[in-house]
Amino acid sequence: MSVQDSIKGFGVTFKQFLKSPETIDYPDQKTPVWPRFRGRHRLWLHDNGLEKCVGCSLCAAACPADCIRVVAEENTAENRVSAGERYAKIYEINMLRCIFCGYCEVACPFDAITLEAEYELSEPSRIAEIYDKDMLLAPSPKPVPIRTEPSGRQ
Amino acid sequence: MTDYAPVDLERGEQVEFDLNGRRVHAPPGTMLVDAAHANGVEIPIFCYEPRIGPPLGACRMCLVEVEGMRGLQTACSTPVSQDMVVHTKSDLAVDGQDGVLELILANHPLDCPVCDKGGECPLQDRTFRFGPGDSRFLEHKRHFPKPLDLSSLIALDRERCISCFRCVRFSQEVAEDGLLTFQERGGDSEITTFTGGAYEGRFTGNIVDICPVGALTSIPYRFVARPWDVTNTESVCGTCPVGCNVELTTREGRVQRVSGREDPNWIHEEGWLCDKCRYAFPAAWSPDRLTTPLIRDGGTTREVSIEEAVAAASVLLARENARPGIVVGPEATVEEGFLAQKIAAASGDAPIQQLGIPAATLAPIRALPPAELADLDGAPLIVEVGGDPANQQAIVELRIRKALRHGARLVMVGSRPHALTGLGEWHETAPGQIAETVGRLADDIKGTEGVIFVWDEQSLAQEPDAVPVLAELMAEVENAKQLELGAHINGAGLRALGLPADGVLEAAEAGDIGTLVCLLADPLSAPGASRWDAALGKTGPLVVIATHASELTDAANVVIPASMATEHEGTLVSMNGRAQRLRPGQEPPDGAAPGWQILVAIAHRLHTDVARSPSTILRTAVTERSALTGLSYKEMGRLGMRLRRPSPASANGAHAPREPAGEGLRLVTTRRIFGDGFAARSDALEHVRQPADVVISPAEASRLGLEDGDRARLVSEHGECVLPVRVSEAHQDGVAFAAVGVPGAGVERLLPADDGPVRVQLSRA
Repeated sequence: MSVQDSIKGFGVTFKQFLKSPETIDYPDQKTPVWPRFRGRHRLWLHDNGLEKCVGCSLCAAACPADCIRVVAEENTAENRVSAGERYAKIYEINMLRCIFCGYCEVACPFDAITLEAEYELSEPSRIAEIYDKDMLLAPSPKPVPIRTEPSGRQ
Repeated sequence: MTDYAPVDLERGEQVEFDLNGRRVHAPPGTMLVDAAHANGVEIPIFCYEPRIGPPLGACRMCLVEVEGMRGLQTACSTPVSQDMVVHTKSDLAVDGQDGVLELILANHPLDCPVCDKGGECPLQDRTFRFGPGDSRFLEHKRHFPKPLDLSSLIALDRERCISCFRCVRFSQEVAEDGLLTFQERGGDSEITTFTGGAYEGRFTGNIVDICPVGALTSIPYRFVARPWDVTNTESVCGTCPVGCNVELTTREGRVQRVSGREDPNWIHEEGWLCDKCRYAFPAAWSPDRLTTPLIRDGGTTREVSIEEAVAAASVLLARENARPGIVVGPEATVEEGFLAQKIAAASGDAPIQQLGIPAATLAPIRALPPAELADLDGAPLIVEVGGDPANQQAIVELRIRKALRHGARLVMVGSRPHALTGLGEWHETAPGQIAETVGRLADDIKGTEGVIFVWDEQSLAQEPDAVPVLAELMAEVENAKQLELGAHINGAGLRALGLPADGVLEAAEAGDIGTLVCLLADPLSAPGASRWDAALGKTGPLVVIATHASELTDAANVVIPASMATEHEGTLVSMNGRAQRLRPGQEPPDGAAPGWQILVAIAHRLHTDVARSPSTILRTAVTERSALTGLSYKEMGRLGMRLRRPSPASANGAHAPREPAGEGLRLVTTRRIFGDGFAARSDALEHVRQPADVVISPAEASRLGLEDGDRARLVSEHGECVLPVRVSEAHQDGVAFAAVGVPGAGVERLLPADDGPVRVQLSRA
């Protein structure tokens, strides 16, 4: 190994000193994801506060991992939950089973369910991995930045 | 369920015709839809329902092109003929079908996601397969407030109705209640009842099954499940002795729906069910369901585990001087009855009996060829003796109505007017006079070939003198068959095991029973309740294996909760000798277990070697009981099999007339279709259930000084009870009519233990 080679090598190293680092300071900082990233599910409300989901269970039918459980009930005048005749009394997704294929989103006739950017889905127990309707209706507790600029990597 | 009629391509005369360029054949007169279906070509239909009757051609969905006929033809109402050339997939035919679907969908709301029919909807399926794919209609669809309660069981969504008339035709032509109709015209057409009131009857649930869209849906099943969420189990209805084939729909570990099952050749119930069968299943969650095993010792009651309860029962059976007696109830399966016999045999040949009607005197009739329900269809003459099929074996009523539409003559002999009495020749007979009336009609009946005799087990057991008369008459008629109107759910199955209908009671009264075991039997609400009540005072510890709480379980020393018919495996034998498989649609509640498991556990503790699964138990039973020869789960398959050998019958009993002792009116009993057993405990049937009452004629009412609505005390030589009075012009003098099986009514206390004839005295209570 000649001196020349060493200079060449250190040259590469010095060049990298001038660039901003590729590593991300996780968990203080999160990797931004692409807009079409499929992460944690979210159930949506209409503008008037009613749930978009009518408990039709089509998502459960489409789900290849069989991770969605929907138990429907009828809306009454006193207790109107959704815009249709029925609503989902129970809406559960087993996140351990989910393969994030997004078929539920495709199947939904009311755009009630979407797959969002959040990917931090570890929980302290298996039972806690079954997300219920209240969890799914709430805005993402661990928001993730969405990537907009093109990637430098291949 | 397929909507096409069975077609026999093998036997009989056949005509050849061209179907989509293929040479096929079918019997002459077969409708094109059925002939095509039998030959593997599906023509879409909505209104066609061959079980209802002749086609109507209301929906126009089945348009096909028939060469030589102008325009398109409705295949549902066009019979095949020799050398006909039919195209179901030609451009013209497809264009016609597309157009009809576009029109049908013009007013159909696309609320499939909230519709209970979604996923099992013929309109969805056929639109997908035969529809145009889009619609040119931009106009607003019609709107109605929805849903409307057609009854406490059925919801009507008028927006979804496609005016196929199936439900209306069912009501008019099958159930013949004539309640449903269409009102208004065109786009405003809507289903309603003539009276404007609720659509209530014995068969209303069938309109939900036959509705090709989601216009009629079941209220107990409303929004409960989608077809992909459920598992379906083929089973048998365990609420009456007819034994209809049912499908149990299970979701979330619970049976949520009972629906009719396809009956391929229309041999049995044709897929129709009565509402009792359809809506009795919620009895599994009634508040009085037993879910905790109990041991009562002296004054204390302990809640225990089922193992402890079984152990306690076994100790009571095995202890010194136990002298056990076992009573088997009518709901017990063949397997359970057999295990009970094994336990009785292991306990020193202990007496064992079922709570049924003694079979000895009825043997001469039972020995004659039995009929399937389908035999009624083509019968020229049906002779009905005794009974009340409308309340006790409802599907038989439906089938007799069908036979009448096919031109059968109906002769009825009996003392209780029922739903069919207005439809045929009704020979009202005073109790005890059946023999005489049948004898009088004999010459008239003899001349006809292929008569079906429909006879009531209880009525003829009460009038043994009519048995030889009837048996002789049947023997004289060519190709006569008999259809028994059985009184008890699995009475025929328990009879095939050789279980007598007496023995334990007599032994108990003599003080010879130490430990009494009641297996799915409640002697305190069975005929002879008063005698049983007294006899229970002379027996030792009482072990009760039961599904629901009762007076008996309140008095029991050991209570073991058992499973219902929707919760266990087993075999039930229908009243006409068809053995069928029960399959569980749900688990029994925690704390309860299937009856056979409880009995196997007891048998093992008694060191008796018995098989450990229902199928092997049945296999042992078949080898040991000749009446069950050939029976196996495999042979029974989906639709059951007929028992090949008659049940063992002891020597023919004496056929002398039976005259009840005492004074007063003769008591004639029946059941209430929604009033007994599981139906009485189902919250779904709450609004259609009728209360118990005693019915007397106006003449008797004035003689006794009673009026409609009064409360009367009924006293017989066996016991007494109090019932509200109903006065009816249709009922004969000299007889009081009451229903057994209604919880709390206590009519059973008036009756002798063999359900024999009895007289009652009425007075104002």
